Amino acid sequence: MSTAAPTTRRRPAGSPLAGFLLRRLGTSILLMVGVTIVTFALTNLVPGDPVSAALGEGASQNPATREAFIREHGLDQPAVAQYFLYMGNLLQGDLGRSIVTGRPVSADLATAVPATLEIAVCAIVVSLALSILLGTLAAYRRGLVTDQIVRVVTLVGLSIPTFWLALLCFSFFFLQLGIAPGSGRISPAITPPPTITGLYTVDYLLNGDPVGFLDALAHLALPVLVLSLVTTGLLTRFIRTAVLEVLSSDYVRAARAKGLSGARVVFDYVLRGAALPILTVTGVAFGALLSGTVLVESVFAWPGLGTYAYNAAANLDLSAIMGVGLVVGLVYLVINLIVDLLYGVLDPRVRLA
Amino acid sequence: MRASARFRTRSAAAVAFAAATALVLAGCSGGNSATKDDEGAAAGSLVIDTAFSIETADPGHTYDPTGNMLAKALYETLVDFEGSDVSTPVPGLATWTENDAATEFTFTLEDGRVFSDGSPITADDVVYSLTRVQGMAEAKPNFLLNGITIEAVDEQTVRFTTETPLLQLPAILANPALGIVNAGVAQANGGSGDADDSAQSFLDGESAGSGPFVLDSLDLTSQIVLTKNEKYNGDEESAYDRVVIRNVTESATQLINLQGGDSMVALDLNGDQVEGLGDGFTVDSVPSGQTIFLLLNQSADIAGELANVKIAEAIRYGLDYDALLELAGAGATQATGVIPTGFEGALEDGVAQDLERAKAALAESGYAGQKLTLQFPNDYPVGGVEFTPLAERIQDQLAGIGLDVELAPAPFATELDAYVNGTEGFGLWFWGPDYADSANFLPFAPGLKVGLRAGWAADANPEIAGLAATAASATDPETRTADFTAFAEAMQADGPFVPLIVPGRNIATADTVAGAVYNSVWDVDIAEITPAG
Repeated sequence: MSTAAPTTRRRPAGSPLAGFLLRRLGTSILLMVGVTIVTFALTNLVPGDPVSAALGEGASQNPATREAFIREHGLDQPAVAQYFLYMGNLLQGDLGRSIVTGRPVSADLATAVPATLEIAVCAIVVSLALSILLGTLAAYRRGLVTDQIVRVVTLVGLSIPTFWLALLCFSFFFLQLGIAPGSGRISPAITPPPTITGLYTVDYLLNGDPVGFLDALAHLALPVLVLSLVTTGLLTRFIRTAVLEVLSSDYVRAARAKGLSGARVVFDYVLRGAALPILTVTGVAFGALLSGTVLVESVFAWPGLGTYAYNAAANLDLSAIMGVGLVVGLVYLVINLIVDLLYGVLDPRVRLA
Repeated sequence: MRASARFRTRSAAAVAFAAATALVLAGCSGGNSATKDDEGAAAGSLVIDTAFSIETADPGHTYDPTGNMLAKALYETLVDFEGSDVSTPVPGLATWTENDAATEFTFTLEDGRVFSDGSPITADDVVYSLTRVQGMAEAKPNFLLNGITIEAVDEQTVRFTTETPLLQLPAILANPALGIVNAGVAQANGGSGDADDSAQSFLDGESAGSGPFVLDSLDLTSQIVLTKNEKYNGDEESAYDRVVIRNVTESATQLINLQGGDSMVALDLNGDQVEGLGDGFTVDSVPSGQTIFLLLNQSADIAGELANVKIAEAIRYGLDYDALLELAGAGATQATGVIPTGFEGALEDGVAQDLERAKAALAESGYAGQKLTLQFPNDYPVGGVEFTPLAERIQDQLAGIGLDVELAPAPFATELDAYVNGTEGFGLWFWGPDYADSANFLPFAPGLKVGLRAGWAADANPEIAGLAATAASATDPETRTADFTAFAEAMQADGPFVPLIVPGRNIATADTVAGAVYNSVWDVDIAEITPAG
């Protein structure tokens, strides 16, 4: 605003990265507060009686029990007071207690989030690798048979119902071929690992348990396959477009004209040039994966965030619904932050400021 | 270019390091205890797949199907049922006698029985366990023992005194929520037995009962593991050392797991799925204790000029029940009245379609083409019966007698309020027993819980209200059955409800196991499941 600003503005003390991180942290905190307001408001607008849902038919009809529950949970307070009560508890790490599991929501999320994270991270890695390969191939062979095949494959990946695909894969690989294990994170005969990260494969490794590790890895395979097939459809199309744009740029033409090898052109010029848009869409896809695994989790009896969110909604478990809302909001913020940071790493022209 | 070469080198090194770390860690000594320690035991594990409906392993708070099944495995009750027969209570931890007025019941504990820590089960444990449920106002099963005084007579004897005749008390005491807990252990872990009781968190990690199993681990989202109670000295000893109950919400996944040999028992397959199971599997298909019914509100505020039972009668005789049953699959039957078959006093035959009678009743009801809005939960199948196609078929059939029905589906959690608060004019709902006795169906009477939900006050039909009161306070087991039948008949003639379907319950098992039968109180008695042959 100030006309003197360009000349008088001082650079923040410390490195530009630290300044950037501080600014982003401030913005993120504000956004998180916004998320809590929206989540709280939406949750409280849901029709239905959380007291009856929590106490069950018998206890909810006892006026004294009902009143005690309402008082204890501050439900007799105005909405604004309830929000500040909620925020006060939240700042102390208290997300409330789930009426479905009877446990603190934070404890539930501590098991559900890593379960989803485990399949989502693997799925994004697999689908990114696949879609870079397919997308680049299709762009190089634009209009040829390979491009058409990739186009059909990605179209199928995008349009196939996830639930159906999951059931089909489960039935085929487990029941028909017998090469995949049954549902769940581990076999019934296996003991879950002592919790360190909540990621079973990692925890088994950290505990030096190869049997558990291989079992958990085998159980990961099919959910990851299904999720990555769906995500690959989206990413491949995007990467193809991004690569096509870079291919038509002058510096790639120049590199090719110099006679550099095909592989070198692809890795050093084309993919580096397309890295930023790929990064952006990958961030969005990863967020969608984390918050949208409910169907895959349902088919593979995977006790993750999607299943937890579904049960919370079906049972009017308000604390749990708000907890899930916060986690999803937080995930998107973190992903955006990471994407922004990687922008700077991948392209020096992107100024942190 | 140089930078990218460095990047590639670093990446390759990182990947190599990660791979090497993984290999070293994987190669370390150790291994999964369950697999490594005892291959035989693991192979002998019993795996049950079910869609979890459970909040706790504390019997005092248990009030859902999976919770009941778990409590039945961990805790014993004073009274028991055999197999799927819930009409005749049999001794569990105790035998009993009652006075002629059915207001005083004396239970004598079986000699020599012990908890899983080896300590003897005494009358004090019984009194503690049951008064604890009475004292915890927020506990869902709290209402089961309302108005009952429980006292120890001596170390082996407990006396129950009721305010009114309560012939159903033995059946109530078979509810797994009334399992007997080791008082000393529970009290040492916060079991104060009042509103401040905090033993639930302890009992969610460790059981303190005398059942055939002890709790190994409880994860309310994924699986429950039980192991054999080594101190168990009752007559239901388990044939399995370890039982894994898994939360598999999708019935299609349960089916694939069962067919693929990953589980031995699947509790939630629908009729179509069990019919296609083929060889190598056994299915126990029986009617459940649930009844799906239509409700016609009798309050003028809600139903206006159609607030009379004639509209219910018209619908009752206007429906084609065989066609509705097609939607329910194996094991389902037509509801013969508000008391389902298998319970004392249930009617033998249901209503048969009679279009003339339906049209006559409709004319009498004051119906003049008004639109009736049918409200129902659309995300809560009961016994495999989806409510949306059922409501659509009802709509179609009622059009045949000239009734204009509009469908208003809503999520269960939302629609429940309207149903419970009695604001539904025309509703499609279900009712299941809290314990195995026909007294559970008396709430359909005018002035009682479900009756009031239909806007049916006590003075709306004093005759039926009287029949319900007579059945509730019966003291003679011989005449009691007739009392319930009279109630059921009167409801079928003049009630505002249209009982439709008793959904089936299908317990599917691999041929490698036997003994998995459905019980309407605890789904399946896990200890009764044995290896086949």
